[in-house]
Amino acid sequence: MNMYILKNAITSIKRSKGRNILIGIIIIVIATSCAITLAIRESANKIITAYEEKNEIEATITMDRRTLMEKLRSENSTQEEMINAFNNIESVSVEDIENYGNSNYLKDYYYTYELSVDAKNLTEATDSLVKETTTTKTETSTKTRTRKFNGTPPSGGRGFPGGGGSKTTTTTQKKTTTTKTEKIFNEKAEDGAFKLIGYNSYEDMKEFISGKYTITSGEVSSDFESNNCVISEELATLNNLSVGDTITIIDPKTTSNTYTLTITGIYKENTDSSGSMNEMFTNSANNIITNSNFIKTMVEKNSSLTPTITPTFIVKDKESVELFESEVVEKGLSEYYQVTDNLSEIESATEAVSNVKTFATTFLIITLIIGGVVLVVINMINIRERKYEIGVLRTIGMKKSKVSLQFMSELLIVCIISLSLGSVIGAVTSVPISNMLLQNEIESTNNKYDNISKNFGMDNQEEPNQVETNEDVETTSDAEKEDDTGVKEEVSETNTNKEEVKEPTEKYNFGLANVSEVDNINAVVDFKVLAKLLGIGIALTLLSSLASMIAISRFSPLTILKERS
Amino acid sequence: MKKNEVVLTIKDVNYRYKDAKKDDYVLRNINYSFEKGKVYSIKGKSGSGKTTLLSLISGLENKYEGEIFYKSKELKKMDLDLYRNTNIGIVFQSYNLLPHLTAIENIILSMDISKIKFDNKRQKAIELMKSVGLNEKLGDRRVLKLSGGEQQRVAIARSLSYNPEIILADEPTGNLDKETENEILDIFSRLAHKENKCVIIVTHSSNVCDKSDIVYELKKKQE
Repeated sequence: MNMYILKNAITSIKRSKGRNILIGIIIIVIATSCAITLAIRESANKIITAYEEKNEIEATITMDRRTLMEKLRSENSTQEEMINAFNNIESVSVEDIENYGNSNYLKDYYYTYELSVDAKNLTEATDSLVKETTTTKTETSTKTRTRKFNGTPPSGGRGFPGGGGSKTTTTTQKKTTTTKTEKIFNEKAEDGAFKLIGYNSYEDMKEFISGKYTITSGEVSSDFESNNCVISEELATLNNLSVGDTITIIDPKTTSNTYTLTITGIYKENTDSSGSMNEMFTNSANNIITNSNFIKTMVEKNSSLTPTITPTFIVKDKESVELFESEVVEKGLSEYYQVTDNLSEIESATEAVSNVKTFATTFLIITLIIGGVVLVVINMINIRERKYEIGVLRTIGMKKSKVSLQFMSELLIVCIISLSLGSVIGAVTSVPISNMLLQNEIESTNNKYDNISKNFGMDNQEEPNQVETNEDVETTSDAEKEDDTGVKEEVSETNTNKEEVKEPTEKYNFGLANVSEVDNINAVVDFKVLAKLLGIGIALTLLSSLASMIAISRFSPLTILKERS
Repeated sequence: MKKNEVVLTIKDVNYRYKDAKKDDYVLRNINYSFEKGKVYSIKGKSGSGKTTLLSLISGLENKYEGEIFYKSKELKKMDLDLYRNTNIGIVFQSYNLLPHLTAIENIILSMDISKIKFDNKRQKAIELMKSVGLNEKLGDRRVLKLSGGEQQRVAIARSLSYNPEIILADEPTGNLDKETENEILDIFSRLAHKENKCVIIVTHSSNVCDKSDIVYELKKKQE
């Protein structure tokens, strides 16, 4: 570009302050809005990505009790026949799992063995609440969509009002299933008070990887062949056990078969499991974590033992979930089994953030459209006002393209200055605005939660309130910290650039997102946002300049000067 | 430097406005030639097509019948922007200076557009201002703060900034008093006779015609 064009553009900007300040203010408003919405979008994306990375999409194979019960009921089976039918269903074998695991839709897969056993001189960690409701003890611990209503609902609960007919039907049928199968599970529960869980490698121990379990003493042994185990803090405390001690496992079917396991570590579960209804079924206190090899040894010695093999398939992405499920069915999965996944749970957990992101995107598009139109109009008015200047420049021999270039340069310079100011304003304002927006979403989810609780007659329960209390505490601690000297230490959210994805807390959530999981967007105007903003600015400048270029090319200098005369 | 060299030739030029009837020509069968070193006046009454002829010569309008030659080059085949910022200088009755610029900036911008090279463009602009009788101190004032005569001098200095061979002036003294008119005409006369420029002035002033070397008269169609 000829330097004189730039020089002339700068002179023109300086000498026409009023006009350029007006254009600048409009661009600042657009840039600020864009910076805020882009920052919110980016942060929301990061939070969703972080959550999805931390919580991989998992699929597992569970028994489809509903289908089986429907079949048995249609055949008018007796209770005994029902028990036999349940017992006779072949469990998914390791070979099947390996066959299903060999799929292009998966990142990885693993499986664990679970076996209920007894132990010599070992007191079970339990409480009265658990004892009263152990009827569904053997329910799988995997959280799935179909499990959302598996907990015993309050009497009279027949689904959520307005929640859709299909949901209502499902709930009722499941409730019946639970009641009728009480005896079956009671019998199984008698097999043993402790649950042995066998892993094949560290990679399979997702509870430890995710931080749900943490070792407080000792370690998880890298030897997945020997007789070693890790027990819970509660069990260790209750039985005065420590690392290096041994426990004696008793075969519940043949009590003469005993096995010794050496304790290599003690773990704690990092969730508040007390008081929540679903904790009765997932309480890990009596879990003894060992290796698959040990359980296999027990089964080899006594073939009447029937361990539960639980496969976990790590699915590549959202799109692969359904494809994988179809593939497994095609590979011959029994009709009494079903593939379940945690996709809805993941999506539900990020629903609030996704809503903010959608809002931000819509707002961005509207801002860009309005901003673009306003800029084009202002630029057209500007060109009409400066017609005479264009006429003179053209008369003294300046080419149309160079006149256009000069006008475009002027707009671009004003645009870049305004974008910079807009970015700064956007960076400062995006954090409180985005958090305020998300707060609304959290409250809305809380209300939804409360409503469903009431439908179940649980409105006096503490869970929803507990969430609010947690949030209050978190807000306070995020906003400011007070040290021992009483000096307040402000914690700048913008500078720390942290996206918090909190540990999931276990509670009966009716399939809704636990709102405390993702409770804060820390919007930041980073380089990515700045680059996008610059791109938008240049695009808007070009768009509005295009209109002026067309106008300039149509102007005849002779006509302009004649009009002037 | 060749004196009496023909720099501009108008050959059988007819022109009618875009929205005019088929035979409603403003200019009909115009045949003029212009040499260096002379001051030409094109006179005529209002509506006779004086300014239109000037716009054809300056390349601001090129939809005409016939031919106009700059030296041996046909104007229609030339880059008219280049022609205007290299070969001709135009002076208007209403000066047509850029109001947001100073006198010197107006002159320098014209140099920049023409791509002419000077070691010190500002110094050259001051020299040009002095040559048209302007004080250096006026150079840094915005042109709107100058008088009509001063603005017209700036316009002449601007038209000379890239040393063109032809100066076209459209009623250059139309807005000026008699005294200033004479001073401006003296400048044009000096440019033609001492600096060998071809000066073409469109006017209806008899004073201007009297001071010109050659006078062409355009008559209205019905005359």
